[in-house]
Amino acid sequence: MSRSSRYRRSLRKSPDRKLVSVIMLFFFSAFLLIALKGELHWQGFVLAAVVPALIYIATMWLPHFFPADKLLLSIANFLCALGVLVLYSTDLIKGTNYGMQQAVYYGVGILAMLVCILLVRYIRYWRVFIYIIAVCAAGLIALPLAFGTEIYGATNWIVVGGISMQPSEVVKIAFLLVLCYFMSQRRFWPWLVFAVLCMGVLMLQADLGTALIYYITAVMLYYASTGNLWVTGVGLLGGAGSAVFGYYKFAHVKRRIAIWRNPWLDYEDSGFQIAQMLMAIASGGLFGLGLGLGTPTVIPVYHIDAIFAVICEQFGIIFGALILIMYAILILRGAFIAHNARRSFHGLLAMGVTIMLGLQTFVIIGGVLKLIPLTGVTMPFVSYGGTSLVSCMGLIGLLQGVASVNQDDLKYDYEVSHNLHDEDSLPLAPLD
Amino acid sequence: MKPLHNRFRLLTLILIGLLLFAGLYGVYSVTVYGSRWVLSSRNLRYREARNEVIAGDILDRNGVVLATTDDDGNRVYQSDADAREAIVHLIGDSEGNVSNGVDSFQAKYLLGFETTLAERIMTLVKGEQRRGDDVTLTVDSKLCTVIARAFGTYVRTKNKSGAAVVMNYKTGEILALVSVPGFDPLDISDDIKNSTSHPFWNRAVQSTLPPGSTFKIITTASALENLEDIQDYTFTCTGATEVMGQIITDYGNAQHGELKLSKAFPVSCNNTFAQIAMMLGDKKLRTTAEDFGFNDNFLFRDLVVENSTYPTGDRTLVDVAWSGIGQSEITATPLHMCMVAAAIANSGVMMEPRLLYSVTGPTGLVRLNLTSKVYRRAVSEDIAEIIQGYMLDTVARGTGTKAQVEGLSIAGKTGSAESSLDGEDVTHAWFVGYIDDDRYPYAACVFVEEGESGGGAAAPIAQAIFRYIQEYFPFQ
Repeated sequence: MSRSSRYRRSLRKSPDRKLVSVIMLFFFSAFLLIALKGELHWQGFVLAAVVPALIYIATMWLPHFFPADKLLLSIANFLCALGVLVLYSTDLIKGTNYGMQQAVYYGVGILAMLVCILLVRYIRYWRVFIYIIAVCAAGLIALPLAFGTEIYGATNWIVVGGISMQPSEVVKIAFLLVLCYFMSQRRFWPWLVFAVLCMGVLMLQADLGTALIYYITAVMLYYASTGNLWVTGVGLLGGAGSAVFGYYKFAHVKRRIAIWRNPWLDYEDSGFQIAQMLMAIASGGLFGLGLGLGTPTVIPVYHIDAIFAVICEQFGIIFGALILIMYAILILRGAFIAHNARRSFHGLLAMGVTIMLGLQTFVIIGGVLKLIPLTGVTMPFVSYGGTSLVSCMGLIGLLQGVASVNQDDLKYDYEVSHNLHDEDSLPLAPLD
Repeated sequence: MKPLHNRFRLLTLILIGLLLFAGLYGVYSVTVYGSRWVLSSRNLRYREARNEVIAGDILDRNGVVLATTDDDGNRVYQSDADAREAIVHLIGDSEGNVSNGVDSFQAKYLLGFETTLAERIMTLVKGEQRRGDDVTLTVDSKLCTVIARAFGTYVRTKNKSGAAVVMNYKTGEILALVSVPGFDPLDISDDIKNSTSHPFWNRAVQSTLPPGSTFKIITTASALENLEDIQDYTFTCTGATEVMGQIITDYGNAQHGELKLSKAFPVSCNNTFAQIAMMLGDKKLRTTAEDFGFNDNFLFRDLVVENSTYPTGDRTLVDVAWSGIGQSEITATPLHMCMVAAAIANSGVMMEPRLLYSVTGPTGLVRLNLTSKVYRRAVSEDIAEIIQGYMLDTVARGTGTKAQVEGLSIAGKTGSAESSLDGEDVTHAWFVGYIDDDRYPYAACVFVEEGESGGGAAAPIAQAIFRYIQEYFPFQ
């Protein structure tokens, strides 16, 4: 038996491959099921082919070119595809076209992930580059202040040539890169200036959910890198203070808190969304009402804020719990990558991504379950929205980039210890 | 890198902890509040499901069909109009005027939301329309009809509103839960919708009212718990007790003279109990009331019951004196007062009221069977026994003689509670009691709005209930 065929067989037996095959089969049959329900829908057939293909490209094909954490990739892609599936199933009820759009965003997201992997893997000289990123990010995040459109009480959208986007989502990637770079260089003041600038702009746009996530991520990153509990405590206190300030300053914050405390009080009007979400979750029961069934579209903003409730209604609470576990695994893998990183920039970057994704998940799912007041942040990977999906995939790209560098480091160690390597050439230039 | 890694680990733990917390909170709130969120009138899902799924039947404990679905998908109730009216608040109506009837509150069973995957596949294969589960209630529908009829025929309750609850004090099964006036679910006219007597209210679980003298059961329990030798203490009743300028008098301005607790309870001496309440103080009385379920958030599995209140916060002495006789912002539902009497009968253990006897799937699979659950221990066995004696005395020779039934030993407590209704001062009549017989472990509560006297208006209906039980119920 030749070596290559043995290799191929071992590949076929590998757990990653089985996992991805099951995921692809799941989505293939799910889309086919909806497509065949009632009259035939051509979009369903297209998605049944395209979504598994995208999953294959992102999880099986791309890792040919650089080492990757396949479990992390599989989970992220599963969640993306789940978003497409749920959105498509609601399309049939409501007559919208979110499913196809989300599939396109998913494709773009994979590209964004690739770009971010390349960024982390191949850029070694950040000294000048980081300032370019910082300036661009600051400009981008401030754009809605000039040309913004107000949606749900926050002015955080811009519309360019018919395409609307949310700069605060995309800037997340730059935010993490810049903060982690300055922290790894132990340069506190530029770090603080950039963080305060971003958060100030977000507060001005009244995009408080996102501001909250930026803020806690920054504080946690500060703690991770310095371990200075005093300053971290002061930072948290300041955050609490500005939360109280926000409560009195913004009417829509006050209202959201009141709804959170008792959604049934003003059921007909402002409490409607959260009450409907709770009903959706409870109606689903343990096993759900079934894909494409139920009436999830009565929930306001079902495709963004409330998508977790829609998932629970259609697939049941057990499935919802499994989704939470997937996010937990994602966090664990992210922390694992951060732990294995050799350079503090990479470690902090991986940890930052993990913190940001974890926090965002908690903020939205806690909001849907009425544990905390609902804020308009998206559910990572799943919620409808191009910018959100692209930025989340970009964040995964950063993690994968770090993971791939870690793998290279390990390989280098192995080769050196077995005298396989030419001692003169280091594989990677040290980070600058 | 070591300390950095430790901090990474800590942050990871925090994040995982947050997610875990959110998940556990979600599971907790869905298990506790889930069925309440799924209330039909607000949840549009059920409206849709009603078009797709054949709603299951509702039966009473003897197998009488209370509600079923005909071929056109309409809800069909009993053929007898009286029987329909007597049970309408329990079942609910198709317009959703009655809140939390079985038809809507148990919709998750009736509309088949709990059917398993295997069952769904079975119906799919057979090509049948999906069918919900059949729900059997613990209720005896005939007893409900008898109670409603008694309200309508007795002189002192005729044309009056009220409610009655009968439950098994050992298991918590509810045998009857009637609210008067009822209405015919098949004939909901505008007159009924605009009626000032609010026929859509389920008074047994939705009306929170001052329990009046029936609250003396709790005052007595508190006294026996907290005051030593209270049974030997001699009170003096001059007919009027003045506290801070307010005068507390007895029903019919009676003067009882010198008497002990064992005498004061059966004659329901307000002066004595006002004095006891002041001896106890607000805090001790409230603690006992809370042991009996006041101020608790009732989250019973089968029923939505308004919470009972004993006021918290600073209160004056006169408020406390009034509290001893169940006035002064103390409120409870008829169902809860029935549970209070049942707890005394059951040696101080209060059972959770149950309404579902069983739930059976369309394929005959039994999904749920009645299980009794202790709601809380209200009072110790010794004290319950003493109060049992007092309550037996009350019916034997006290204010509750009209509840007596030949051949049964009945215990009870009457109440005449002052309240205001639409701005007018009115007196509501109460009777709570039980059969002191292990073969008939049943407690009852009767409430008559503006009934004036508990012994006069409410006790006779209790008598009718106990008579029916004696005649038709099998020994247990």
